Amino acid sequence: MPGEPVLTRIAPGTFSVDVGGRREIVYVAGPPNDRWAFWNGHIFHSAGDAEPTARREVGPRTPIAHALSAPMPATVIRVLVAPGARVKKGDAVVLLEAMKMELAVRSLSDGTITAVRCHAGELVQADQVLVELG
Amino acid sequence: MIKRLLIANRGEIAIRIARACGELGIESVAVYSEADERAPHVAAADRAIAIGPAAPRDSYLSIPQLVRAAQTTEADAVHPGYGFLSENAAFADACERAGLIFVGPPSHVIASMGSKIEARRLMQSAGVAVVPGETPDDQSDDGIRRAVDRVGLPALIKASAGGGGKGMRRVVAASDIADAVQSARREALSAFGDGTLYVERLIERSRHVEVQILADHQGHVVHLFERDCSVQRRHQKVIEESPSPGLTPELVRRITDAAVRAADAVGYRNAGTIEFLLDVKDASFYFLEMNTRLQVEHPVTEAVTGLDLVRAQLMVASGEPLGWDTHQPTQRGCAIEARVYAEDPARGFLPQAGRVLLYREPRAPGVRIDSGIAEGAEVSVHYDPLLAKVIASAESRELARLRLIAALRHFPILGVRTNIPFLLRILDHPRFRAGDVDTAFLDDEVSSLAEPAHLEAPAFVIAAMAAAPEAGGVDARLGWDPWQQSRDWRN
Repeated sequence: MPGEPVLTRIAPGTFSVDVGGRREIVYVAGPPNDRWAFWNGHIFHSAGDAEPTARREVGPRTPIAHALSAPMPATVIRVLVAPGARVKKGDAVVLLEAMKMELAVRSLSDGTITAVRCHAGELVQADQVLVELG
Repeated sequence: MIKRLLIANRGEIAIRIARACGELGIESVAVYSEADERAPHVAAADRAIAIGPAAPRDSYLSIPQLVRAAQTTEADAVHPGYGFLSENAAFADACERAGLIFVGPPSHVIASMGSKIEARRLMQSAGVAVVPGETPDDQSDDGIRRAVDRVGLPALIKASAGGGGKGMRRVVAASDIADAVQSARREALSAFGDGTLYVERLIERSRHVEVQILADHQGHVVHLFERDCSVQRRHQKVIEESPSPGLTPELVRRITDAAVRAADAVGYRNAGTIEFLLDVKDASFYFLEMNTRLQVEHPVTEAVTGLDLVRAQLMVASGEPLGWDTHQPTQRGCAIEARVYAEDPARGFLPQAGRVLLYREPRAPGVRIDSGIAEGAEVSVHYDPLLAKVIASAESRELARLRLIAALRHFPILGVRTNIPFLLRILDHPRFRAGDVDTAFLDDEVSSLAEPAHLEAPAFVIAAMAAAPEAGGVDARLGWDPWQQSRDWRN
């Protein structure tokens, strides 16, 4: 009998959902703006995925073509470009290290570096702007 | 018998070792960096001692800090776990000099197996075939380039000092060499404190088959059968199993014989693993390297042999004989292990960091979870992204596979993305089901293993996500943080 799912909280963060007579277990955690769910081996996340550009509001006054930011908290190993440098799409601009792995931040388009906002050795946060391109 | 053991590691393996200590009546001592003050492995041990800042170089990789920690806590033995200093001969030596039992082989064996040149020489003299390769004396960029020329393309450039895929780069074209050398060296330096590089021919269609060895101080060397670790991504093992679906009984006999011969030849002591590349074309196998420590994937061997490898390590280190002869251990049923990593398969397997908001382990017959995290724990950017291992065992490979799938479907970890959906796609892949995988499997099947383009949450999941905020998990209890309040308990 399809219809509105009926939710029963059976443990902290654990819902039993009646879906047309079939019972599904869904695990939920996190604040409303950063909510996670797990069901049957699938992971769902409602914040980061839905509004990836939300943090752009703290950007500089002059509009920039785009900014390359850190995908996760990491240490900057090396900055490979300086302001004024021409880069091509796919060029590595900053090398990061996180969890003992090296990650290259690559340019998403051809362009000129307008600003470098990180330095070697710096611990950067997720979504922190590393380099700006014009 | 060892009385008090310092565990020079963190995460799931530190907890695993503490558990074995508890069974044997050995007091366990955890070490922790500033970032790990509240980590689950600290709570798992009988005592704990701080060893410095978050950066591994200043804590888990600091020999003076660890030796001092052992002395301060009056430990009589040190277990290095895997990774970090586990294959560092200088650490084993420092322990020996400080009068501490190092749970592992003698430092000179670590040194000779850690040196690829020496290891290969010893293996060849024991009649075990090796893959063409070398550690060039000239470690300059040019020296490595010339070594690649001699070995031939495609080649692997890897850290001479380590394993686990850290500091390893695949070179297909000569133009890749410069970048590969630089980044392999940096990664090797940061992971092992040693940037020495090794160059090796890449055998393209191969299975990774390794043999578990145990040797005591009375001269007994036994093998505990093979593990197949062909499901790898960037040389990082993802799924391991025993027995190997790629071996005939005859091949098992030959490869385990070779492993025992190799261990004998180097005067091996304690637990070790001999890794082989099995050429799928002609079933020839080559010595790859010897890991002079416990492996991440040791539970699959425990599952099929019924033995406790950490317990055996501690007994051997205490001078006890193994207690079973060469033919005694038997292999029963099948076991498969999946490594749960904090990484996002949809974004290039980027490691994830953050707070674990909800964590529930599945419970079922034949399912074992070795975990280093707990609800509320912080997954730190400083350390390896391995969160937990799920090991399923059953009477057949297919039943073990189904059991592992069921366990992973009931293993919610929320707050950081994990590779669980990816693990489930591997386990359900026709080639994995058929046991038809080689070390290139994950690369070859990138598209058939890729996440279906943004999976929409079913309506009932959205309904649950929209439910009341007292939904639970750790956020519901953030107002009262027992960890913060208990900070001074230990002092």
